[in-house]
Amino acid sequence: MKSVLICPATRRSVSHLAEAMPFATVPLLGECLITFWLGHLASLGARDVIVLVADRAELVRRAVGDGRRWGLRVEVVTVGSEPTVGEAAARCRPFGEPGWLPAPDDLVVMNHLPGCAALPLFESYAGWCAALQAWIPQALTPGRVRMRELHPGIWVGSGARVAPRAQLHAPCWIGDHVAIETDAVIGPGAILEDRVVVGEGARVVQSVIGPDTFVGRLTAVVESIAAGSLLINWRSESVLRVPDSFLLCSLGDMPSLVPQTHLAGAAGAFGRTVLRWLKRLRALFSRSNCAAGTKPSG
Amino acid sequence: MTIKNEAQVLTISDIPELTAVNAGAFREQVTSALRESPTVIEVELSRTRFLDSSGLGALFALYRSVGESGEATLRLVNPRPEVRQLLELTQMQQLFEIVQR
Repeated sequence: MKSVLICPATRRSVSHLAEAMPFATVPLLGECLITFWLGHLASLGARDVIVLVADRAELVRRAVGDGRRWGLRVEVVTVGSEPTVGEAAARCRPFGEPGWLPAPDDLVVMNHLPGCAALPLFESYAGWCAALQAWIPQALTPGRVRMRELHPGIWVGSGARVAPRAQLHAPCWIGDHVAIETDAVIGPGAILEDRVVVGEGARVVQSVIGPDTFVGRLTAVVESIAAGSLLINWRSESVLRVPDSFLLCSLGDMPSLVPQTHLAGAAGAFGRTVLRWLKRLRALFSRSNCAAGTKPSG
Repeated sequence: MTIKNEAQVLTISDIPELTAVNAGAFREQVTSALRESPTVIEVELSRTRFLDSSGLGALFALYRSVGESGEATLRLVNPRPEVRQLLELTQMQQLFEIVQR
């Protein structure tokens, strides 16, 4: 069975979401839109999927590979502009050949998550957040063994570290390798993507925090989408680039923070120091050996 | 930046940005204007497009000096949405009376 996925190219009302990557690969509950769709099509019996991409096709190609992960053959085709369903049909299935998934899964514009057409992703930032919240229970696909529902409505990924005095309020999603410091309040309605660090006493309520984002001590992220230093209030649609990294920033921008906040990072830093010293010792030994070797014999 | 004191109302306006560059000057000028003992202090932020932690520090210093005297009301007037976002992120909106006109 075959199917076509059409990647959204531009959506003006939520354009900031696609600043760093196309909409199809924006991180979404530890995965991305296109990987959820490929999993869905595979579960319906698809074997061949054509992905039509007009925006940064190489990133989409990298996200899906050849489709083997889902038992699919995936072909990513670069197009000049986002085609309509009719245009995609004319291009990929011009004579209505058999062997395709039944409508509407034969030709899909990825404007929503699978089975959630009533919750469009790209009409507003509020819509994006609402769709993610609704999708949480379905994001736990059978292959995702690392994510666990620790308490009704509280999902926590592997390697996540929650300080004993932090508060988690359902519903909330805490991705892999997230660190939540003491007295932080997470939820209700909070989604922390992978590798987020939430500082001491910070509050994240009705908000989505993108991967590798640092939320500073005593800050309050409420009704917002944060990704690195970008902060979008989904209710007012106001957009702010936070100027001070101790309030909100991408962890990629402040690499020194990671070893301080992660035990694994601290161990890594210790290991690197030991290796550096071993190298120096080896260099010293080889120098002294060289000196001994070049010593005139008499 | 314009500072006007009329009928015991001190209005600070025309602040295109409040950052590390001008936060010190803002504090100095406002501190000297506070000597006239106004009963209402309004910081007009409708033109303020950029605020950073130094600017927030200057507003907090003003809040503290007004709070210590206890004789004046401090208001932030017409902050732009992005300035309001920063006030909310730092939870400083709880300290100030924010007025939209």
